[in-house]
Amino acid sequence: MIHTLIRFLRGYVRIRVEGYSPERFLNMCSYHSLYIWGLAPSGQGYEFCMSARDLKKIRPLARKTHTKIRVTGRYGLPFLAVKYRKRKLFFFGIFVCVILLKVYSLFIWDIHFEGNERRTDEALSAYLESTGVRPLMLKSSVDCPGIVKNIRKEYNDIVWVSASLDGSRLKIQVKENEDPSLGEDADVLKDETPVDLVASADGVITEIVTRSGVPQVHVGDEVKKGDILVLGRVDVLNDAGEVTGYQYRHSDADIYADTQMEYTDTISLIYEEKNYENKMRYRPFLRIGSVTLSVGTLNNDFEHCEITSSETALKLGENFRPPVSFGIQTARAYTLAEKRYEQEEAREILSVNFSRFCGELEEKGVQIRDNSVKIHLYDDSAEASGTVYLTESIAQEADTEILTIERKETDESVGTDD
Amino acid sequence: MDREQIRERLASAASMPKDVVMGAAVLTALGNFEVCVENYRGITEYTDTLVRVQTKEGQIRVSGKRLQVEYYTNSEMKITGKISKIEFVDGRKEE
Repeated sequence: MIHTLIRFLRGYVRIRVEGYSPERFLNMCSYHSLYIWGLAPSGQGYEFCMSARDLKKIRPLARKTHTKIRVTGRYGLPFLAVKYRKRKLFFFGIFVCVILLKVYSLFIWDIHFEGNERRTDEALSAYLESTGVRPLMLKSSVDCPGIVKNIRKEYNDIVWVSASLDGSRLKIQVKENEDPSLGEDADVLKDETPVDLVASADGVITEIVTRSGVPQVHVGDEVKKGDILVLGRVDVLNDAGEVTGYQYRHSDADIYADTQMEYTDTISLIYEEKNYENKMRYRPFLRIGSVTLSVGTLNNDFEHCEITSSETALKLGENFRPPVSFGIQTARAYTLAEKRYEQEEAREILSVNFSRFCGELEEKGVQIRDNSVKIHLYDDSAEASGTVYLTESIAQEADTEILTIERKETDESVGTDD
Repeated sequence: MDREQIRERLASAASMPKDVVMGAAVLTALGNFEVCVENYRGITEYTDTLVRVQTKEGQIRVSGKRLQVEYYTNSEMKITGKISKIEFVDGRKEE
C-alpha cells in the first residue's frame, strides 16, 4: 500500500523491451540495482515497470544489449502535473485551500471543558464570554494565565484550573471542591448574630436536640406557631442566682414536632377534550441572527387550532453555537368535545394528585405519619379532603430580643466589699 | 578432494550458513503459488509457463502456469503463478 503510494508520487513508467536477448537486459538492470516490478512476458519481449528516474539510466544498457525499448505508459503524479499544467484554476484552488486552512487555524473554534460536575458547560462558557473569551476569537489574543486567574476569582468552589490551547480548541480543565466543610457551610458557622428559634407551625414536640442556645420546650410540650423554642439569650448568674447579664448566641437546634395540615383538592368532572384532525399547515423557517426566512403561511380558517414550533440551533463542535437555527411551525386543527370523567377516573386523578403532594412533602424532609383524606364524589365535581398528620422540623429563626439590665444596689455593695 | 566439497565441509564444521559461504541459492516456496529466489546470478529465460534462473551451482527451472515475476532486484526475485515443478539442472552441462 505504502509502496504503491510512493511509486505514484514519484512517477513510474511501463516499458516494453524487445530484441535479441531481453533477459540479458534484465540481468544488466538488476546488476545496476535498478528496481523492476510487474515483469511479464509479452510477445517476443518483456514488459515491466520502473521508476521514471531510472529511465535515463537504461539507455546505455539497451545500446549494449542491442535491445529496443519502448515506453508504453506513464503513470504517477509528475506526469499528471504536466498533463494538467494548463488548468490554472485547479492549482489556484489548491492554493486557496492551503491559505484558508492557515487562516482558519488562526482562530479558536471550540471551547472544551473537563472536570466540571456542578458548574455546567453552559454556565462556564457564558462566564468566559462575559470576559471576552468566545469561539471565533483570534488564537493569538487568548491569554491562558488570565483565563485561569479569572475563573479562580469568579468561582470559589473551583480549586484548580488549567487552560491550554489544543490546536484550534481551547481546553479548560477544572477541579471542583469536593470537601463541603471548606465550602459554604464554613461561612454559615461564622454567623454570630443572636437569633432565637421559633415554631413555624402548631404541634407537639417529639424531639429536640439543642446545639446552641437555651431550650424553652421539652418533648411532649404543645406549642403554637410563633412560640419561642430555643432562646438565643443566655443568662449570666451570680453566686446568689441573680441575673447579672446576658450572653447572646446564634441558636442552633433540631426540633421535630407532630403537626397537622388540612388538605383539599377539587376537580370538575366535566372537561373539554381536543380531537385532532388531519388538517395541518406548515411553515419551515431559517433564522440567522435576528433575520427569519420562512416559506408558507400559517393563516387558516380552522375553528380551533394549535400552533407548535420546534427550533434547532446549529452547533459546531462542543460549545460553539453560531447564531443560526432552523425549525418548523405547525398549525393543527382540532375540535372540542365536552366529556365527563367516570367515577373511577376521577378517583384516580385525585389519588395521583395526593400522592404527588405527599412526594413533594417528603422531598422537603417532612415525614407523613397518617392521613384521613377521603374522596367525595358529587354531581359535577369530585373532592379529596381531610387532615394529613406530619412530623416535621418546625424551627424557624427570629431575632433575639436584646435586654439590658439596670445595675442594682447589691452589685455596688459587692463591688465596694472587694 | 574437490574445492566445493572442502568448502561444504568447512561450512558444516564451523556451522556457518551455507548460502553465505558457498553462495548457494535460497528458495522459499509458499504453497504452490509463490517462490522467492535469493542468491542468483540472473534470469536466462522467462515465459508465462517457464522461468529459468541462473545460479552459481547451476540452473533452477520453475515451470507452471501464468507465471509472473512480481519484483526483480539484485538480491531477490519473487515468482508468482500456479507452480507445478521446481527443477535443479547442472548448469555446466548443456541441456
